[in-house]
Amino acid sequence: MENKEKLFKEIFDTNSKKIFHLCYGYTGDEDSANDLLQETFLKVWQNLDKFRNKSLISTWIYRIAVNTCLTYLRSEKRQAKDELTDNIMENRPEELSEKNEQVALLYKSIAKLEENDRLIITMVLDELPYHEIAEISGISEGNLRVRIHRIKLKLTELYNQHARI
Amino acid sequence: MQEFDHIQSLWQSHSIEVKISSDEMLAQSKKEVAGMRAKSRLNILGMIVSFATLAALLLFAEFESWTTLAGLSIIVVLVGIYTFILYKDHKLIAENDFTEHPKAFLDQLKAYQLNKFTIYNKLYWLYMAALSVGVIFYFYEKLNLLSPFMQITLILFTIIWMTLCATVFRKAYLKGEKERISLLIEKFERISTQFKESN
Repeated sequence: MENKEKLFKEIFDTNSKKIFHLCYGYTGDEDSANDLLQETFLKVWQNLDKFRNKSLISTWIYRIAVNTCLTYLRSEKRQAKDELTDNIMENRPEELSEKNEQVALLYKSIAKLEENDRLIITMVLDELPYHEIAEISGISEGNLRVRIHRIKLKLTELYNQHARI
Repeated sequence: MQEFDHIQSLWQSHSIEVKISSDEMLAQSKKEVAGMRAKSRLNILGMIVSFATLAALLLFAEFESWTTLAGLSIIVVLVGIYTFILYKDHKLIAENDFTEHPKAFLDQLKAYQLNKFTIYNKLYWLYMAALSVGVIFYFYEKLNLLSPFMQITLILFTIIWMTLCATVFRKAYLKGEKERISLLIEKFERISTQFKESN
């Protein structure tokens, strides 16, 4: 038990930041991202003994996180993320420096993407190798490259559109 | 016109801090269930206090009529049985921990929700009917000692209080509990089933 706790702590410390960023990119708000982080790592904790080292542990956790994200918003019927981002921007204008404003625009743009695309692009932004993203998302590497190219174009277009407003 | 590289550097420069540790995270997940357990314990404690007070009254007070004794006995037995049922129900959520035994805990949480529904529906009406008989017997002697005004006031108060408990309070409690437990079940089910999908 003590070993499990030690191992879990190590895994949590190494991966939680990236997983939180993924969840934040997907939901656009801190509370939901925290819920998703908690759900992801609860699954990791409960199933740690089932992990068989067939893939990297980070890939395994990413896969759990992606599934968690995809089912979470559907079952919770949460407020649409773009509305949330709008609220964040309207409620705290004084806190937004130019940099923060750009970051907020980025999240707003990500929110406009399809759910699966949102998760794929956050992994691309985090510079995960393509073969890992393919494994996590269950898409062949060839198809993934095409898809990522399309998502990058779409995201850049959305970002520029928002930046002009 | 910004390029994707700019977007990527923006993403990477946005540092996000995880505010909880692994221990806190596990503790947080137990907290929701702990709240439910505490409420259930408080409920049982209230019933035990009522039982003890009524039992003390039954043992140490003097009554002239057998009806008072019968009425109070019915109420004491009733409160005792209901407390025992609540305790048995409480044991369902007190024995397991979701972080250690997810499947067993989930099954017991579902059983707990089902029991709660029975306790505050079918069983509640039986409880109320028996309680009314007990109260009527108890009042038979006791009301004779009061003035007519006090008699009417006490009867009216008892009727209104019991009606409120059986309708407004019971429904509100049941609704709140149902929502709370359903949310927990939904969350724990999501955690359990998603993992199977992700493997």
